Amino acid sequence: MDKIGENKQERTLSPLFRRLLRLKVWSVERFRLSDRQVTLIWAALIGVLGALASEGFRKASELLHYLATGSELGIISSFARLPWWQRLAVPTAGGLLAGLTLWLGNRLFASVRQKTTTDYMEAIVVGSGIIPLRASLVKSLSALFSISTGTSIGREGPLVQISSLVASLVGRFRRFPIPQRRHLVACGAAAGIASAYNAPIAASFFVAEIILGTVVVESLGPLILASVVAAFVSQALHGGDPLYKSPGFNLHTRWEIIPLSCVGIALGFVAPAYLRFLRTAERLFSKVEIPIPLKLALGGAIVGALAILNPAVCGNGQGLLRSLFHQNWFWDEILAILLLKLVATATAFGSGVVGGVFTPTLFIGAAIGMLYGQTVLYVAPDLRSDPAMYGLVGMGSFIAAATGAPVMAILMAFELTLDYAILPFLMVNCVVAYYCSGIFERRFMYGESLERKGAAFFNQQLAEVSIRDLVRLDPLTLAKNATFAQIAETFVQHRFQHIYIVDKEKRLLGAVSLHDVKAFLDRPELETVVIAADIMNEDFPCVSLLQGMSEALHKFSEANSERLPVVDNLNSKRLIGSISKTDIILHLAGEQSSTGTNRQFAKG
Amino acid sequence: MISRKSVEHLRAAIFIRNLEAKSEHEAILKLIGALQGHTLVKDLSELSAAIFDRQQSDPPLFPGGIAFPHARTDSVLSLVMVVATCPEPIPFGEMPVRLIFLIGVPKKAGAEYLEMISFLARHVRGDHVIDRLVQAEDLQSFLNAFADHPVI
Repeated sequence: MDKIGENKQERTLSPLFRRLLRLKVWSVERFRLSDRQVTLIWAALIGVLGALASEGFRKASELLHYLATGSELGIISSFARLPWWQRLAVPTAGGLLAGLTLWLGNRLFASVRQKTTTDYMEAIVVGSGIIPLRASLVKSLSALFSISTGTSIGREGPLVQISSLVASLVGRFRRFPIPQRRHLVACGAAAGIASAYNAPIAASFFVAEIILGTVVVESLGPLILASVVAAFVSQALHGGDPLYKSPGFNLHTRWEIIPLSCVGIALGFVAPAYLRFLRTAERLFSKVEIPIPLKLALGGAIVGALAILNPAVCGNGQGLLRSLFHQNWFWDEILAILLLKLVATATAFGSGVVGGVFTPTLFIGAAIGMLYGQTVLYVAPDLRSDPAMYGLVGMGSFIAAATGAPVMAILMAFELTLDYAILPFLMVNCVVAYYCSGIFERRFMYGESLERKGAAFFNQQLAEVSIRDLVRLDPLTLAKNATFAQIAETFVQHRFQHIYIVDKEKRLLGAVSLHDVKAFLDRPELETVVIAADIMNEDFPCVSLLQGMSEALHKFSEANSERLPVVDNLNSKRLIGSISKTDIILHLAGEQSSTGTNRQFAKG
Repeated sequence: MISRKSVEHLRAAIFIRNLEAKSEHEAILKLIGALQGHTLVKDLSELSAAIFDRQQSDPPLFPGGIAFPHARTDSVLSLVMVVATCPEPIPFGEMPVRLIFLIGVPKKAGAEYLEMISFLARHVRGDHVIDRLVQAEDLQSFLNAFADHPVI
């Protein structure tokens, strides 16, 4: 007995050891970093890297601009100093170089471009969070040629692309799972926007509202962190002033609230026409069957020709916006530059120049808003309206109506100008513009592109995955003479909705549905008199290993079932296994089912 | 719980009194023959083939000498039934059968079929009931034999 007691004491843990063990468990539980916390840390780092990458692109663009024009001034000032022929030649040559870069890149990296996406939005929404390095660099180099030679396109697009690329590389390097990689690329995009516009709040909401389509804290938190860090880095490099600092506006009379509140209605109705104008330009250029370099050179030549008339059409419109808010413009001057800028932007966009239209759209909204303000001043001079105030509200309203993201638009217009007094009018007009735009237009600026590319990407993914990859072996089967008792027992023991009925050679004869028999499972009188053959559905759909995933999804819609039997081919119908909707969805989402599919077959 | 629909099907059944046959095959053929020209039967030969095919799988029999030859086939538009009494038992395999319920049911009417089989299996049991059913002279007296049951 004593011996046994001694042994027991040896096996039990000492109180000190037990306490240490408890402390260890407690600390592991409390201080272990979850995926969300890890993402947050990486988001901050991506903020730094994204801002630095954007800065690198900005510097390269300035250098190339100097080489092209011989001037260190801004794009508009540089072009104003050039003789007419150089105003024409520089954008044309820039377009040609940009096109040659794309053409060469397409030839060299065709396989890369076919398999994956180079657009950061696609990588976040429908892709695997991977932005291919070489193809992205090709696009960025092409954008660099176009932007630095005065094409009327936003450089913010490439800045965001590069920042997202850096985030994608981090995700790949750390081998993060797909959802986390996508989230990091979203952080990269937010960092790029924040560093481009010095607008961290709007940057977070741009990605959340337009790309992710949600503003839940789980996704917004890392975006905010990445944006704020990127904005801090940018401010450290360039200073912390807002991009278009507001001169400060006051309402001279309360009656002005009425015309000021109607800016959103006007801009909301104009925005759909603007989007259609851009699409028309894209369609017209697609009909011009010439090589990419010539197409981009043609686009550059048109912008150059417009620059002969007015050099202010060059560039993304950032300088014009500043001038619009701080200098006095006559209505005819605004109208002229607005029309020229519209044509120049549509030309650049339509010809396929790599770049964004966000800043040009900001300018167009501001210009229309100012024209509206000029009209108010003309019709009701007693109001003593400041057209620039209408321009600011118009800028926010137009971007809300064009992007379909009113929250982002409010925050962006506020952060770009930092004018708190105008905020209530911005809020009202952005929301009104969004609703008015929605009457005529359901496809907003980025939505259409994502929709189109997303559908193509989805179809590609469907085509790439084979039924063989997702089939689960050893499905639930019974013989056709299995009694009702056996059927009931099988349904009770398993969670499946269907039992497949097979013959001796394992050929699929049909399926018994739980839905059909559940009302009779408690009838003992049926146990021996009814067999599987009596109640099976002989027309139950099945898929063959040889069929594609699109066909499988079509069959799912016919069967109204979570799972379909998989046969070797549709003639012999020898049952191999089953495939489930959940596995397909998880595969498309880049995840694996918790139970995992049986891969032995796929390998064999 | 009684299915009113099952009762209605039973009321609409064809009744054959004192069926005489030497074999299971002959008995079933005679019952199928009674469905000749039935408005709900689209293809009698297809129905016949389906019933014999089902008989080969696992002949549905109940203790006390009751047979349920049946088939789920689209050769019928709705559930059809033939009831036969056999005072002289007919051998169905090793079982001498005294009552036969031949049922044809469309493929889509699986629940109706299960309800019908369940109804018959519940109520056609016990020597006393079977004896009374076998002695019935027509469908009405056959139905009256379920006297225990107020619904019928």
